[in-house]
Amino acid sequence: MDTTSIGRPDNDFIQDVLGLGGEDLKKCYQCAACTSACSLSTEQNGFPRKEMLMAQWGMKDRTIEDPGPWLCYYCGDCSKVCPRKANPGETMMALRRYLTSYYDWTGLSRRMYRSGIWEIGFLLLMAAVVIALFTLPHGFGFGLLARSGPAPLTHVMLDRFAPVAIAHRADQILALFLAVFLLSNAARMFFFLTRGRKIPVGLYFTYLPVFALHGLTQIRWKSCGSAETTKNWLRHLFLVTGYATMFLLVVIFLPWFQVQNNSFHWTSFLGYYATAVLLIATTWILIDRVRKQDEIYRYSHISDWLFPILLFLTALSGILLNVLRLMDLPMPTYVLYTVHWAIAAPMLIVEVPFGKWAHLIYRPLAIYLAAVRNKAEELSAEKKVDLSEMVA
Amino acid sequence: MDKKLGVYICSGCEIGDKLGVDGLVQVAEKESKAAICRTHPFLCGPEGTASIRQDMEGGAANTLVIAACSARAKTEAFSFDPRMVMERVDLRERVAWSHPAGEDETQALAEDYLRMGIAKANKMEPLELMTGQVSKAILVVGGGIAGLTATLEAANAGYEVVLVEKSESLGGSLAEVKQPIPVKAPYTESLQNDALERARLVMEHPRIQVLTASAITRTEGQPGQFDVTLATPSGPVTFRAGAIVMATGWKPYDPARLSGLGYGSCPNVVTNLEAERMAVVGRIRRPSDKKPPRRTLFIQCAGSRSSDQLPYCSSVCCMATLQQAKYLHDADPNAEVYVIYQDMMTPGPYEKFYQKVQDHPRSFFMKGEVTSVGPRPDGQIRVRVEHTLADGPFEIDVDLVVLATGMVPNAADSEAIRTLHDAQAKVLRNESEKQRTEAEAVVASLRQHENTEILHLAYRQGPDLPVLRHGFPDSNFICFPYESQRTGIYAAGAVRSPMDWAGAEEDAAGAAMKAIQSVELATLGAAVHPRAGDLSFPFFNLQRCTQCKRCTVECPFGAIDEDEKGTPKFNPYRCRRCGVCMGACPERIISFKNYSVDMIASMIKAVEVPEEEEEKPRILLFACENDAVPALDMAGMERTQLDASVRVIPLRCLGSMNMVWIADALSSGFDGVMLAGCKHGEDYQCHFVRGSELAERRLDNVKETLQRLQLESERIEMVEAAFDDCRRLPQLINDFAGRIRALDPNPYKGF
Repeated sequence: MDTTSIGRPDNDFIQDVLGLGGEDLKKCYQCAACTSACSLSTEQNGFPRKEMLMAQWGMKDRTIEDPGPWLCYYCGDCSKVCPRKANPGETMMALRRYLTSYYDWTGLSRRMYRSGIWEIGFLLLMAAVVIALFTLPHGFGFGLLARSGPAPLTHVMLDRFAPVAIAHRADQILALFLAVFLLSNAARMFFFLTRGRKIPVGLYFTYLPVFALHGLTQIRWKSCGSAETTKNWLRHLFLVTGYATMFLLVVIFLPWFQVQNNSFHWTSFLGYYATAVLLIATTWILIDRVRKQDEIYRYSHISDWLFPILLFLTALSGILLNVLRLMDLPMPTYVLYTVHWAIAAPMLIVEVPFGKWAHLIYRPLAIYLAAVRNKAEELSAEKKVDLSEMVA
Repeated sequence: MDKKLGVYICSGCEIGDKLGVDGLVQVAEKESKAAICRTHPFLCGPEGTASIRQDMEGGAANTLVIAACSARAKTEAFSFDPRMVMERVDLRERVAWSHPAGEDETQALAEDYLRMGIAKANKMEPLELMTGQVSKAILVVGGGIAGLTATLEAANAGYEVVLVEKSESLGGSLAEVKQPIPVKAPYTESLQNDALERARLVMEHPRIQVLTASAITRTEGQPGQFDVTLATPSGPVTFRAGAIVMATGWKPYDPARLSGLGYGSCPNVVTNLEAERMAVVGRIRRPSDKKPPRRTLFIQCAGSRSSDQLPYCSSVCCMATLQQAKYLHDADPNAEVYVIYQDMMTPGPYEKFYQKVQDHPRSFFMKGEVTSVGPRPDGQIRVRVEHTLADGPFEIDVDLVVLATGMVPNAADSEAIRTLHDAQAKVLRNESEKQRTEAEAVVASLRQHENTEILHLAYRQGPDLPVLRHGFPDSNFICFPYESQRTGIYAAGAVRSPMDWAGAEEDAAGAAMKAIQSVELATLGAAVHPRAGDLSFPFFNLQRCTQCKRCTVECPFGAIDEDEKGTPKFNPYRCRRCGVCMGACPERIISFKNYSVDMIASMIKAVEVPEEEEEKPRILLFACENDAVPALDMAGMERTQLDASVRVIPLRCLGSMNMVWIADALSSGFDGVMLAGCKHGEDYQCHFVRGSELAERRLDNVKETLQRLQLESERIEMVEAAFDDCRRLPQLINDFAGRIRALDPNPYKGF
């Protein structure tokens, strides 16, 4: 990399990292025990010492161009071996929080990461909007007092409470909203990680499979150091299949999945699978976070709590909704339907583009761009060698 | 004196089980005509030693040969009058424990050792005692924290002390710092500056005489009898001291050689010493506009740890930088401090201070190399840092750069000064054109040593302490702490090795204790370390001296001066009794009453070398008493088997080996000769500094002897053995014996 005149350390950046979980950052004395202990660190992409040092010196420009934080899966081996108890594992986590908030151009992420009040406030606001949509008279066309008249209270008739066509359209609008923000943030990340670098365009295509592989399987996690790695990776993989299934059911197959009365439709089996996975995985994760045995769960930022809790509540309200509907209890079904929406929608709005869930694209993107950058550097090094041979 | 030989053979500790004690008695009684020969199964017990004492007191024996265990064992049981003739023959470690029982060769070995011991005892004479007036006063040179501490330690132990300080006041460099680095628990808080308090205690002490603004102009004599002349403001002062502690401290590395780091060209680049001076009178400021710096960058190892500047780490600069970072933060919590280092050297609990300073939100530490320092138009300095760990080099603009420069000892290079003086004399003599040009070149290359003398010793080998690595007059600190190569003169503090004030205090206490030991042992006429308590000393038969000066040159401790003609003038109190002079002398005129060329030669000749056709080779091993012999003793304790052809002769130092012994051994039929001495060279372990090195050099001349005798050069071998080589050394010996067995027998057998 070329010389950067850092002028002076960015003390605000340092304060941000300290506040986002890197409070032991200053203790690092650059011995590299962490980097040596890390099973994922390589010659070309060494971490976490480099990240510790850049953060200590407030080198913000270098940090936002660095894929390192996303290449780490937080087995915590580095924190275990650290002789200064500088907790590099948690500092890497803090850097991921920082980067998530930095990639987001709206500034909302930054506010929510820096303040729990902001995050919870925003979630409640979104929930209030959802509830209002369902309950206010002459709202947006569905709900108890919708234009089509009150839903019957003798039998469950969900279509009269929330017409599936409208719900489906709302899901799609929500998905579009998430995609626009998430992808625009990812574009910013792409820009930071590639700026000022000479990268042949072809490489971006050559390495696309890397992006797909890691996005779908998170296979890199499996090479991470700790004894619990395989367990954590598998659990996460099931979680991914769970919410991916649920996403497809809700965004594409809602007309079948949202059954109107107390009859049974086979798509519910898929829903049961997703619900079971989500409930088990989130409960398990929450228990681990409470127990604080594994290094990865020892330090929990408020964002680390909210995400699995909301996911758990979403799944729980969803399955209860299914039970109430099958029991043909109309009023409880309608109420829970509203509650389910009031949990799921704010969670998605907050977590996917602005919060922890955004890693679903940042991680594979970082692995992919790191591979592209490394290859580009190799090629330019070869070119330099060639040139020097010519000169000689 | 009529010698009455008493031979006492112990049969305990397996000796009696493995050896024919009757055969040994035969050797003593029949061959050697011992007046008394007794055997005892427990000679070191009260009954055994009582019988020896009885024979001695009754006049039946005055020359003792104790054939029992190693001379290093049971020293208290066998300690009689230290002056009388006594020789220990080791039948236990060297024979019974390291050879199979009941074999002819084992018995032959034991009998040979007894013959050798008797032969030596027959040549030994009772020791004479050194008598002389000895001063117990101690001279401390240098009034810094090391000198003050050494002075107080010695004075509190009851000794008169003279403290000489060249500057006007006491306290040294420690008195010139704002806050001493926190060298004591809890290692994070500022400490009281002890220097001035200690100076007050020294000034008030009844047994201490302080001479400030004074310098030594001449130091004559020897331990116990140093006659020191000082130049003081009130004229010359002369007094006698028994020992000297040299605590002359350090001076900063010359920053003029740091122009590459902007010193000299940028006004806002200062040394750590200059920054400290600013801190003492107020706070650290930018020299250009006297404003406090908002951003300060420290460059560690400025001029240190690089082959073309100071090659070593001064061990203090990192802590000094941390202390100055603290000054800056104390004065302005928002002042940013950057530290660029190779390695932060904060050993042990000093780490806590590093952690404390590093924890400050405006502290920035980075391993890296500063490659350029240049002024900016706005008065700032742009510093470029390369080889960083943060993804490439970077540049940073700062208000002030502080160079953490290292320590240079305040010592004089004795050998260089002597070489310079010799060359200057040669130029004046102007004997031939060639000689003069050569001498002039030497003078030119050593001119920087002109007038650098500190102690002004009137020693032939030079006026100060010889220096080892990097100009420090250190010794092998692990083995011989505080020792210098001049007996009775001990180095303490930063002059010995770079150190902080805690190290200097500890050093000073150690050196003061060494000085006390030195005067006390001199009072007894005994040697100091490493032969502490030895009462023997060498005699020079000067009628036969050829003035070759080898002894004066080779004595590792400068004990021998010479007169105008070059005749050696021996100073017994400077002597460490190693016998290097004895090994050096081609005329063999130097001998101890209990150790001489003749004695060892008779031991060699006492060995019964079997006839050629018996195919029993004989190998002689000269082993250093300090390392090789203890290693062999330990090998014996482990019951390691040695080749029975080997006869070991312990030497005080391999440097005392006289070449004639090798010729003697080969001509009396030995098939091989091995020498086991200490490691020499840069990390020497020789207790007498150069003994094993000198032995190796002399061995080169042996090749000539071998050629003259038409013998194979493989018959002689020298090995390095350390104290802990108790497994390796027997292996080396047995391998050598194997190689000798493969050769034809020495053709000189039976001559």
